[in-house]
Amino acid sequence: MEVLYAFLLLGGLGLFFGIILSICGKIFYVKVDTRVENVKNMLPNYNCGSCGYPGCAGLAEALVKGEVNDPSRCKPCKKEEAEKIRNYLKENK
Amino acid sequence: MNSLLVFILAIINGMLIDNVILSRFYGICPFLGVSKKTNSALGMGVAVIFVIVLATIITWPIYNFILVKANIQYLDTIVYILVIASLVQFVEMFIKKYSPSLYKSLGVYLPLITTNCAVLGVAQGNTDQGLSFIDSLANALGTSFGFLVVIFIFSCIRYRLETANTPKCLKGFPIALITAALMSLAFLGLSGIIEI
Repeated sequence: MEVLYAFLLLGGLGLFFGIILSICGKIFYVKVDTRVENVKNMLPNYNCGSCGYPGCAGLAEALVKGEVNDPSRCKPCKKEEAEKIRNYLKENK
Repeated sequence: MNSLLVFILAIINGMLIDNVILSRFYGICPFLGVSKKTNSALGMGVAVIFVIVLATIITWPIYNFILVKANIQYLDTIVYILVIASLVQFVEMFIKKYSPSLYKSLGVYLPLITTNCAVLGVAQGNTDQGLSFIDSLANALGTSFGFLVVIFIFSCIRYRLETANTPKCLKGFPIALITAALMSLAFLGLSGIIEI
């Protein structure tokens, strides 16, 4: 019987907090720039840091913001990949 | 009046005399990690106050009205962790929405409040000692304000240390650790000024 209580309590609490957090997630939703995420996915995602930014996410943000103009700053990025990012950023200004 | 006095004394006790960082050595990780800038230290302190106080308000009734009644007190730690993790998620969403700069400066230490042992330590300590709800609240307030005060003082000291003429081998973390030890000694001098 005690085991059943334990299951019910933890399951119930988990469900309760989950529902509250999902509601809060809707209320406190922050609109993020989807371009950053897309550019990050086009980068190799090695997080090598050779571009000088902390990880690929950092470089993606800088590219979208225009701090860095050229995707070839990313050393492990292949030529065609860099071209793809360049085109993407041109299209989605 | 008398109970109010006891409440205030309990807060002061938790804040200065039995300080969470310097006497009980809880929550050292954010203490060293987020104390480089005064602003992020204050943000961290306020976030910790919020989490500790709310965690106490939620966990005390859960322990006394559900766990004790159902005779499953052994589940206390995992229930507390569940409550704390949810609260921290909430705080994270809130800060991300209303203060992106604070969100950035806190970085990984914000979700790490979940594993800040000060939070679990307060919740667990309250129920282990069998404190009443008001006493638990006083303990939570005192402990979390103590955290804020100490992390603020420490960040101010570290700010001055940046420009101080420190020997090269002690620059950065070594001198910060020595400072923390000296602060701990200084707070030891406050022990025993109030008896409850």
